[in-house]
Amino acid sequence: MNSDSIISGVLIDEATLTIVELANACSVEYTWVLQHVEDGLLARTDSSMTSAISRADAAEWRFASAALIRARRLANIERTFDANAEVAALVVDLLEEVATLKQQRFSEHRR
Amino acid sequence: MEFRDYYQILGVGKTADADAIKKAFRKLARKYHPDVSKEPDAAARMTELNEANTVLSDPEKRAAYDRLAAGGQGHRAGKDFRPPPDWNAGNEYSGDGMSAAEAARFSEFFSSMFGDSARGDANHAGARRTRSTGEQQVRGEDHHAKVVIDLADAYTGATRAINLRAARLDESGHVVADERTLNVNIPKGLKEGQHIRLAGQGSPGFGGGPSGDLFLEISFAADARYRIDGRDVTAIMPLAPWEAALGATIEMPTPSGNVQVKVPSDSQAGRKLRLKGRGIPGETAGDLYLEISVVLPPADTEAARAIYETMAREMPFNPRDAAAAAKGV
Repeated sequence: MNSDSIISGVLIDEATLTIVELANACSVEYTWVLQHVEDGLLARTDSSMTSAISRADAAEWRFASAALIRARRLANIERTFDANAEVAALVVDLLEEVATLKQQRFSEHRR
Repeated sequence: MEFRDYYQILGVGKTADADAIKKAFRKLARKYHPDVSKEPDAAARMTELNEANTVLSDPEKRAAYDRLAAGGQGHRAGKDFRPPPDWNAGNEYSGDGMSAAEAARFSEFFSSMFGDSARGDANHAGARRTRSTGEQQVRGEDHHAKVVIDLADAYTGATRAINLRAARLDESGHVVADERTLNVNIPKGLKEGQHIRLAGQGSPGFGGGPSGDLFLEISFAADARYRIDGRDVTAIMPLAPWEAALGATIEMPTPSGNVQVKVPSDSQAGRKLRLKGRGIPGETAGDLYLEISVVLPPADTEAARAIYETMAREMPFNPRDAAAAAKGV
């Protein structure tokens, strides 16, 4: 590839990735994503998200950038530590909480 | 290429059993987990640990590695190493979930030993996902990279050169590590944690299957002047006491350039002024909040001291009383 050419990509916004795309991006099976959404460990952001979760609608589900980061962390912790999904989710919840607190402490520290 | 001592990396002896290897890997993985570790080289160490664990936790790969290490050439970590030609012939590895994308991040040493098996594993993993379209066509793995940009880049857009180490098939069909540079357009209006997908820039597919994609995760460089929340940006606006008390029109630097700000009189510290639409641009642009901070000039000259003394004398003001009144005490 010519390293001088500039390439542009597609922005992953609020409701962009399909369930297959998310699974591919995390190197996990499609059913891994299904199970994590059903168990409330991973959130989708499509317009029908207020309705009950049904596997039949899975093709319509959409995921945002935040879900991609979360899903990769979950998969990584489950794989590295042979952790069960709930424990991995608890760890990721705490990581997200720490990030929020760091941001708050940073802004209060400057006052 | 350098010989890699996987036992040394995991800190275990050559006779360690599977359980000891698993324990050592998890202990070190906890220490160097990039989300938690404060070690500067955490990400690199984690890749090294994954590589060592991939080999030593798999009986077939471990046996092949042990045979090579015991080859009588005195292989030691860091020493130059050339694998004997066709040394890998006859070795077969079953899939263990390791992907070509993962293998591509590993060392050249690893690629030369297990490149073929990485490809086999990718086939194995991919075939599960594309069963309905036939086992031969396998989509390449997706790759991920982080891109750090300045807040100003989110306002204007930018171009970034990204160095990637990815898998490529050489003429004889072996997976080899390939260094390449991509110049990527970073559009304006990005938020922290948002991704850009570059279609087809991941691992190549197999059997005519499409290439995987490359996902770039956007992260902002730390900047003590700004706090960013989605597309909203908060900056501290330092004011002299007289500017805060009397009101003023001041020039304030912002990520999108200097702006004239009208400060109302009696502006207390902590109060925020909102500049609508001057946050990070987007379909709905964010807002820029200027948080007032009153900065006292030092009383380091006779004249300055005289002014403070006049204020103390002429202005009956006790901030403790004012704070109590504000709290309704």
